[in-house]
Amino acid sequence: MYCVRCGVRLQEGVTACPLCGTPVWCPEAGERGPAATYSDRYPVLSRQKRLTVMASLTVGLLSVMVACCSIAVNTNGGMGWSFYVIVGVAAFYFAFLLPLWFRRPHPMIFVPVAFVSVCLLLWLLCRRVGGRWFWTFAFPLTAIVAALTIGAVALYRYVKKGTIFITGGLLMAVGGGCMLAELFQHLTFHTPMFAWSPYAATVFFLFGGFLILAGIIRPLREHLERRFFI
Amino acid sequence: MSRIWMPLDNAALIFPAIRRRNWNNVFRESVTLREEVDPVLLQRAVEELMPRFPSFYLRLKQGVFWYYLEEVASPPRVQEDYAYPLTFMTKREMGRCCLRVFYFRNRIAVEFFHVLSDGGGAMIYLKTLTARYLSLRYGVEIPAEEGVLDIREAPDPQELEDSFQKHAADHAAYCPEAPAYRLPGKRELGAFLRLVTGVIDAESLRAAAHAYGCTVTVLLAAVMGSCILEMQDEQLPPKRQKQVKITIPVDLRRLFHSRTLRNFSLTVNPGVDPRLGTYTLRELCAMFTHQLAAEITPQRMAGRIAENVEPQRNWLLKRVPVCLKTPVMRAVYNRRGERLGCINISNLGVQKLPAAMAPYVQRMEFIIGVQYSYPNNCSVVTAKGVTTINMIRSTESAELERRFFSRLVELGIPVTIETNR
Repeated sequence: MYCVRCGVRLQEGVTACPLCGTPVWCPEAGERGPAATYSDRYPVLSRQKRLTVMASLTVGLLSVMVACCSIAVNTNGGMGWSFYVIVGVAAFYFAFLLPLWFRRPHPMIFVPVAFVSVCLLLWLLCRRVGGRWFWTFAFPLTAIVAALTIGAVALYRYVKKGTIFITGGLLMAVGGGCMLAELFQHLTFHTPMFAWSPYAATVFFLFGGFLILAGIIRPLREHLERRFFI
Repeated sequence: MSRIWMPLDNAALIFPAIRRRNWNNVFRESVTLREEVDPVLLQRAVEELMPRFPSFYLRLKQGVFWYYLEEVASPPRVQEDYAYPLTFMTKREMGRCCLRVFYFRNRIAVEFFHVLSDGGGAMIYLKTLTARYLSLRYGVEIPAEEGVLDIREAPDPQELEDSFQKHAADHAAYCPEAPAYRLPGKRELGAFLRLVTGVIDAESLRAAAHAYGCTVTVLLAAVMGSCILEMQDEQLPPKRQKQVKITIPVDLRRLFHSRTLRNFSLTVNPGVDPRLGTYTLRELCAMFTHQLAAEITPQRMAGRIAENVEPQRNWLLKRVPVCLKTPVMRAVYNRRGERLGCINISNLGVQKLPAAMAPYVQRMEFIIGVQYSYPNNCSVVTAKGVTTINMIRSTESAELERRFFSRLVELGIPVTIETNR
């Protein structure tokens, strides 16, 4: 039997060419299909194992939360210390374990979710201890880290070229973030201004600038690639 | 009792670092016999080969600074084959043994994680395993020739050496290459790999290659190159087109007279730039022949080995923990390793069999897995006058296979097609 389109010879009993899908008509072949070249045995997929592990982890963490809650209520008559355990475990679950349910978790969804859960955790803690540091320090700091992380993920994922420029730019942005972080620290806790951030920012600016320079000067980039290739 | 252990050879260093949750570098070699395989006797043959092939019965372990290989307590159990070749070898399986032996009807198949050996070394193991199985099954005495080793002999230290260290030049031959065109394709759901096998009369393929004044490998690479050029031309405007390059592994054993059974091969990437014009098949054959001839010389290969060996010998890098080296190696591999070729064509060449063994064997096959970012790969072996070309893919469309085999038919080479689905 030959495929009329591809010209290749086919196995006896096939109903269509495996290359182009052209149906094969061969009255002598009858109903019998081609002889199997492989068995019907399939390996156990890793997804099933992952789902089992994730389900066990979820049940385990839920039990920890319920146990903490019941112990606290029975001994103190209120939430007490168990509050911190419960919100901490919940934030950890949403930030780090939730993406593992999925085979290919999309970072543009789960990175913001992680930061929202951390933000909520900090807000609850701030309210619990009666602090005044959430809106002027914790929230802006988390927002800066979130913006930098999401920006990095988006740029590395969707911009195929200019990795060296992106890395350089991000390092410089981290340097700027350090300065802002110290500003919020100063506004909230009245610590001295510019005590540590200029040093960190200088290192990040220098390193980021060097990477951008290496991206512009091709011989330098090639020299670095050659020297640092492992 | 202390177990034998050995560090990874230079080529193997990269494979544990680049493996992913659903992909790693495994290849398969198989032999199809005239009669159905007896799994009990096959298991016995696998066990009896263990003292002769100490570099194959190993498991992968992680040290502080490097991965290493450690002798297994017991040989692997033979298993019935799966529905598709090269199923994912899990980390746990590698921790038991980096070698798997399968049987299905008349076929004996062995799958190797690439840290153990390359296609050339693995073929010697497969031939010796088949010879031992046939001796147990039919009582035939198969002499130690044509790649079959005598299992009563002790392993030769030269078979266990890392030949890369021995044959590296004093100076590295660094040569940056442009990235190649990436074949497109919608990935299959799950890990299923589709295999299309083209069975060809070796003599007609050789005659066609001689008509074009080249070797069989070059002819196949040129045909593949012309198909990929066509596909790229249909998909991309000329300004955005990239080089079309075929990755061809080169067995260095013959070049350096090495007897090692461990990895000893390098790849070369002959190719053409479609932005410079169009190419006929004859021109592609001539260009690939000249590019391979210029690249595959002992001096050039020794320089390239030195380039790979240099970082392994670096005092500082040796002392960096493996957990830090792994992400860096992976990043470097992503940037350089898989971007330099469109597809692999790995040709094991003509495999001769001892005269006493040949009547029991129908044919041999060689299958390499897909790369992490290449959706297609191609492997070739010739035995008993039959050339089998295995094209494997992780995508749904068989467009490349259709063009490739149709082009061979157009050249006057009859092709019989088999698939695993």
